[in-house]
This record gives sequence, structure tokens and C-alpha cells, in this order.
Amino acid sequence: MTAENKPEHLYIHVPFCRTICFYCDFCHVVYTEEVADRWLDALTIEAERLRDVKNLKTIYIGGGTPNSLSDFQLRRLLDLFAHIQCEEYTVEINPESLDQEKVEILRDHGVNRISMGMQSSDPEELKMMNRHHTMEDLRNAVNLLRQAGIENISLDLMYSLPGQTMRILKKSLEDAVSLEPAHISIYSLTIEENSVFGRRGYTTADEDTEADMYEWICKVLPAYGYEQYEISNFAQKGKESRHNLAYWHYRDFYGFSAGASGKEGHLRYDKPRNLKAYIADPFTREEIPLTREEERFEHWMMSLRMVQGMDLEEFRERYGISFTECYPEITHSLIQRGLLECDGKYLRCTKQGYPIMNEILEEYL
Amino acid sequence: MDQKHIRNFCIIAHIDHGKSTLADRILELTDTVQQRDLKSQMLDEMDLERERGITIKLNAVQLKYKAKNGEEYIFNLIDTPGHVDFSYEVSRSLAACEGAVLVVDSTQGVQAQTLANTYLALDNDLEILPVINKVDMVNARPEVVKKEIENIIGLDCSDAPEISARSGLNVDQVLEQIVTKIPQPSGDPDAPLQALVFDSFYDSYRGVIALVRVRQGSLKVGDRIRFMASGAEYEVLELGIRNPKEVRLDALECGDVGWIAGSIKSIRDVQVGDTLTSAVRPAKEPLEGYRKMNPMVYCGLYPSDADKYEDLHEALDKLQLNDASLQYEPETSQALGFGFRCGFLGLLHMDVIQERLEREYNLDLIATAPSVVYHVYQTDGTMIAVDNPAKLPNASKIEHIEEPYVKAEIMVPDEFIGAVMELCQNKRGIFKEMEVIDTGRNMVVYELPLSEIIFDFFDRLKSSSKGYASLDYELIGYRSEDLVRMDILLNGELVDALSVIIHRSEAYARGSEITIRLKEIIPKQQFEIPVQAAIGGKIIARTNIKSLRKNVLAKCYGGDITRKKKLLEKQKEGKKRMKAVGSVVIPQEAFMAVLSMDDDRRK
Repeated sequence: MTAENKPEHLYIHVPFCRTICFYCDFCHVVYTEEVADRWLDALTIEAERLRDVKNLKTIYIGGGTPNSLSDFQLRRLLDLFAHIQCEEYTVEINPESLDQEKVEILRDHGVNRISMGMQSSDPEELKMMNRHHTMEDLRNAVNLLRQAGIENISLDLMYSLPGQTMRILKKSLEDAVSLEPAHISIYSLTIEENSVFGRRGYTTADEDTEADMYEWICKVLPAYGYEQYEISNFAQKGKESRHNLAYWHYRDFYGFSAGASGKEGHLRYDKPRNLKAYIADPFTREEIPLTREEERFEHWMMSLRMVQGMDLEEFRERYGISFTECYPEITHSLIQRGLLECDGKYLRCTKQGYPIMNEILEEYL
Repeated sequence: MDQKHIRNFCIIAHIDHGKSTLADRILELTDTVQQRDLKSQMLDEMDLERERGITIKLNAVQLKYKAKNGEEYIFNLIDTPGHVDFSYEVSRSLAACEGAVLVVDSTQGVQAQTLANTYLALDNDLEILPVINKVDMVNARPEVVKKEIENIIGLDCSDAPEISARSGLNVDQVLEQIVTKIPQPSGDPDAPLQALVFDSFYDSYRGVIALVRVRQGSLKVGDRIRFMASGAEYEVLELGIRNPKEVRLDALECGDVGWIAGSIKSIRDVQVGDTLTSAVRPAKEPLEGYRKMNPMVYCGLYPSDADKYEDLHEALDKLQLNDASLQYEPETSQALGFGFRCGFLGLLHMDVIQERLEREYNLDLIATAPSVVYHVYQTDGTMIAVDNPAKLPNASKIEHIEEPYVKAEIMVPDEFIGAVMELCQNKRGIFKEMEVIDTGRNMVVYELPLSEIIFDFFDRLKSSSKGYASLDYELIGYRSEDLVRMDILLNGELVDALSVIIHRSEAYARGSEITIRLKEIIPKQQFEIPVQAAIGGKIIARTNIKSLRKNVLAKCYGGDITRKKKLLEKQKEGKKRMKAVGSVVIPQEAFMAVLSMDDDRRK
């Protein structure tokens, strides 16, 4: 984990979507075959960086919508990293554009985990978000994957949607659980300024409803066998996302393609969000050198998201100073106020502190 | 020039009746200002004045006018502030004149300040020239308005010029009448110097500049001078007039209006209304009418960033250089830290100062709710003046409390009488009389506690009369009332800066309004915050700000670190603009909230 070592995790961003979801402001352009080809050319050049890499712990291909690519393009994409052995290989998938052919391409390239955007099972809500799939599509997609032997499936859901009631949320969650995924991520809606929701002036559910929903989710999912291990993530035993855990452990990772970010040693970097800029120079990136202090804060900021909290020993090993020496007063005060707790090995949020983590982190800034 | 050819005058009017426009036309017609240099409202110098269409600081210009009799005259036009807050300054600038041009809008007729200013001018023995303005408007009714002036004020309007200051129509008649009707100055050029200080401002190179009217004697560069009230002595280093550019002269003669500079460091030495005399051959008596200006309204001003205390101090010092009526002294609030208790002539004055501090000095301020000065009679027989509710002594030590009352004269058309009287009644007003001024218009007179009208009375008056009612008020003294201090407790801690002095009968209603309002303004925090209103330790109203339940970013993966950090910084920045009081973080507007609850809820 020292700075000299190479990252053991890889993120690749596929910046294309067939349609634009109204809550999203992420890096994406509407798919055209020609642009996607040129993007793949650029990625091929960038992937040269990994020519000699034989092993990684995790690869994660996210988006955008990776399966917005044509079969041929998807194969080209996966071929770029086919020489790398990895333990967890995740691809994000949209249920409506998944077919047998694509599933086989994925499986044949060693993809062993699928993260699928479900968001809701309510037709009205899906329509409002400009999502074009049904529960039926979702069920079919899950079956296809299972038949192909990909069992490790995660579903993404959303809550605190405009006009969403507890009843609709419950139905969505029950529908999700009925598909028996290994993992569930459930995010409260954030209205991004540059999303369609933002521009149209949509608002989330009010704070009390959101908090009620969150409390309920955190209570009900464990009852179904999904333990919470991060703010928005729940998994069956042993099915936590290893790739995402790497982020929360503040490990290094390669970030490839337009719109991706990476962290290598004492440096974070953002690849251009603009696709043209990326195609013009696949290696261009905006670098953010990190001071020791920034690293410590970011490490804390990310680790605190995990239910288990931050491993104090690991922190000390990485920075040569104990966390409590770094931030003695604040930490002490937060423990006193019942927002943080420490069992000697881990420092974590208490039940009260967890949902208001931003308030805690602000004090460390 | 000999006194025979000098005319010193001012223009008085109700707000928006065209005072500044007439001044512009006069400057133009006397070739004082070239048309192309003429910014609208030439005399209103400060940006703020031009923006708000009001005159805050005085100004005096010298014009040359060739009259129809072939002789050349010097006109000194002294501008007057157009707001009731500044009535003392108005009275001093009037005292520097022999005459006043009274501008009355022929579409509106006599208004409250028309009357108030006219009485001030009469008090100073000025010759008043009524002028009927805006006669080119469709709804102008000059004959009616003339009658009104004759009936209400008793001024002869038979040859009052009917003008349009905007177009310049008949403004020449005004100039002629200034020559023929306004008396020449009549001082004794050989007597010891007596010059009335009617304004002062600060120039960063030359110190305080005093604007003076030479009543008796004369003064020249090099003279030793003394300000009789302050006793300060200086040497005149420069003097002159403005036309409106500054012109340096060697001497100011008897009857002249001009400026003097003498490396005067402190504006406190140059009080408006003071008499300037010769240090070598001093006058026996100062001119009449000087009084120290006493602020009517006080509030606490605190930097929202405690580190800016010195900056605020400096900024106030600088503003006071230009504004002798601004008073301030350091005060400490448990809630807000170090700041200043500032005294103002009125609410407008307060607004203007706050705005200038924020605009010109880039300060982020927290202002506490304005307060009047209460006279608190204690059981030990002493009386103390309390300008800060937090300083009110314990109830057991108080024998009784008196609060300032004003006589408010409100001019209002028939159809709004009901609404205006209801407003006054709601504000603890005591009805005195109602006079029909002419068809459709009335003068309603109320006695009102000053504390009730300092905040939003004027706005409410305007809104309850569709803008037709006009107000003038003057202090008439102190009256004993059943007043109590209401404290606000946040999370069980008393926040001194939120205390208010109110009438006991209103305590319950206002207590609940204030607590609800605070609940709306103060953001949710990590714990539940009880908001309580209390009188003498007894809780009279209570509400709770529920604790913050959720504040966490839903998604935070490898690529979100930069964004997430920015978000946290923004969150922290937002709180910086608030004030931590004990364990509770309070936004600035909360400190004004104690006032802004008024009648919307009550109705």
C-alpha cells in the first residue's frame, strides 16, 4: 500500500448512454457508433500503460452505460484488459439493453460481478427519471446472467425521489429483494444542478421523509440478509464490493478513460470529462498532488463511510502518526458528544453520527 | 462682492416633489454646470444618494446669476437632506440661509414634509418662496395646490411661479424672485467673526472640511480660528467656495458661504451647528441654535468574523469623519463578542451607515435589532438611559421605565384613513386629532411610542395607503409605560443580542412569534434546540428546532473525492457566515428577526 507500489485496482469509465437519466449529471454523451469507435481507439492507446500488468485485485467498468456499446465494441473494450487476472471484475449494466450475446461476451472475458441500475420498480417513477426498463426487463436480465453463471449481482436503487412515498419505496425494495441479488446499493437522490431534474427545478422528498426512509432501509435490509457496510451499500455475507471497499480504504487505483479519476501514490488525477479532449490525448489528466495532511483527511473522509469505521493501525502504518495525534481535540470532542466511537482498533461513527457524517467531517477541515 | 448682491437660499420640499431636479435646472440656467457635465441630481454626491433618490449629506454651491435688472448676483444654494431622520441637519442648513424655495408638486399638493420643512424654515426666519412644480403633468392642478398652500400654511401664492423643473419651464421666474424677494445678508463685516458650521466632511489630504456661512465679520487664509462649542483651535490653511468644483479663495467675506480647511483631524471638533470664530478676536456669543445631536435609534454592530473588529472600528472612524451624527462606542455581547453600540438619527440613517460599511469597507456585519433609548428609574432614585435591552437592570431594581414618544402627523386621503388609523392603533398609538385639509385629504395626528415606529412603520404606512400617506414626526418626550425585557434562550442559554424591550401586554404574542420565526431561520443542528422566550426567568413561549437527521453524501467513490471535499468546504463556509453562540450556530438575519414578526401573523 506504500506509494512505490502500483495500484491493484482499475476503473474504466464508459462515457456513453443510449438515453439520459434525468437525475444524472455524470460524464456521458449519447452513444453513436462512430464516436465510440474513436473513443475505443483512444482507450487502446491508454491501456498500453497496463501492458505489463498481469494481476489486479479488481477491475470495475462503469459509466455511463457500458452495455450501450455494440457487441463488437464491448468485445474490443474487454479485450484490452484480457491479459490481466483479477479477483473481482465488475461491469455496470442497464437492464433493457442486455441480451444473451452480451452476457456471453462478459462472462467469456472473466467478468464475475454485475452492477445493475434498477432505481425503482414503480413504472411512474421510472418514467419520471427517463428510465426505459420494466421489472420484467430486470427479471430477464438477472436470469440471463444467472444462466451464464454470473451470480454476483448488485442492484442500484434510489430513494427520496420527487413525490416518492414510503409505500412506493417499500414496493421497490421488496421487488429488488425478490430477485435475490447478492448486493444492494441504495442512494438518496441528490438534485444535481446540471441534471435535467436540476434544470427543471425538481426537489427531493423533504428532510424528514428522507431520514425516515433511510432509517427504514437500514433496518429492513439486514432483516432480509443484507448487512450494511457503507452509507448506501448492503451485501450478503462476503459479497461486499471489493472494488468499492478499495476506495473507502483509500487505496490507489488506476482511472482510465474520459471522466474517470485515479489515485496513484501521492497524486490524484481527473481524466478530462470532455470526450474530444480525451480522444485528442488519452494520457491527458488534471493532477492533484496531495500533501500529507490532505491524504490523512481524505483517508479519514473515505474510511468513515464504512460501518466498521477506520482501521487505526492501518492509518498509523501509512502515515507514521496515529490518528488521534493528528486530530486530538476534535476527535475527543466528537466522541464526547456521542458522534464517534472507538473500540481500540477502529474509529467509527456512532448510530447518531453516521447519518450526519458531513457535520463530523466538516470539523476536521 | 458686497452683501447686497448675495443671496443665500435653500430648496425645501417633500420627498420626490422635485427638489433635486430644480437644483439641476438652476445650475444649468446660471451656466454653473455645462449641460454635458450634468449628471442627474448634481448635488447628490454619494452613489447611495443617487440610488435612493435622497440627499444624505449637505452640499453648497455658488452660482453667478445676471438678473433682469442687469446686475450680477452671487447665489449660494445650500442643499438640504430630504428625510425626517435628518431634521436637525436640515434646520442648520436652513439657518445658513435668508430664504427658502418651497417646491410643491402640483399633482400631489402639500404633504407632511412640506409642512414640516416649512415650519423649520419659518422657525429660522426665512423668506419662503412657494413654487408650484410639475405643472406640465396631465393631472397637475396648480390653482388647487396654491389654494392649499395659502390655506394650510398661510403663504401668499399669488405670484408663485408655476414651473416644470424637468423641462425648465418658468425656472427663470424662480431665479428672479430669489433676487427680488429673498433678503440680502445683513451681517456686520467689522464685527468679530461668527460663522455657522452647517456641514462638514472629511478629505483624506486636508482633514476635516467645514462648510460655513459667515454671519458676522470675515475670515481669511492664515487666521487662527476657534470652534466655540468644541473649543478646538486651528489655523485656516485653505478656504474657498464650490461652483460646484472647488475654488480656492483668499478670504470669505461677511454673508458668504464657503468651505475652510485647517488640517482638522477630528470631526468631533467640527459639530454641525457650532459657531466658528476668531481665536484672536473671538465673538462674545455663539450663534443661536446649536445643540448636540442625539441619536434616536441604537443598534449593535458586530463583525461576523471576530477578527474584523479592528477593521470595523476603523471604518466607523472614517465614516464618522463625514458624519458627526453617527455615534458609537465599543460594547461586548456574550453572544456576538466585540462590537459597537451605534447611535443613529433614525432608521434610514442606520440603513445607510450599515450599507456603506458593507459596501465601501467590505465588512460582513451582524446588526442587532434597533432600540430606542429608555429612561429607567431605579428604586434607588437614580435614572439611567438604556439603549441596549441587554443592559436593562433587574426588574427588582426598576421603579418604572419611560420610553420616548413622538407626535406623528400623517397626511392621508379619505379612503385610507381607516387603514392608517388601524395601523396606528396596532402600534399603541394614541389618537389626538384629525383635520380635514381640503377635499379628500386629512391630517391625522397620533402620539406613538418611538419604538413602535422605528422599524417598519413607514413601510406599513405606505402599503396600507397605496403610497399616498405621508409621515412626519417629532419627539415629544418620555412617558411611563409597562415595559419589560423579553429574553430569548437558545438551548437554554440566554442570547443577550436577541433581548428586546416590549410592552407587557404584547409579550405573549410577540414571544411566540419570535420563537417561531427563529425556528424558521436557524438551521437544524446536531441536536435539538429549544427556543424559548422568557420574562424575568419565566418562560412565556417555547418551540423546538428539531435536530438535523441526515447530512451525508449518498455516493462517494474514488472519483468523488474532490467534489465531496468542495461540498464540505462550502458547508463550512456557509457556517462561517453564521455566528456560533454557545453551542448553537445562528445566521445573521436571526438578530433582526425579533423585529420582523409584525402584524402579518397578528391579523
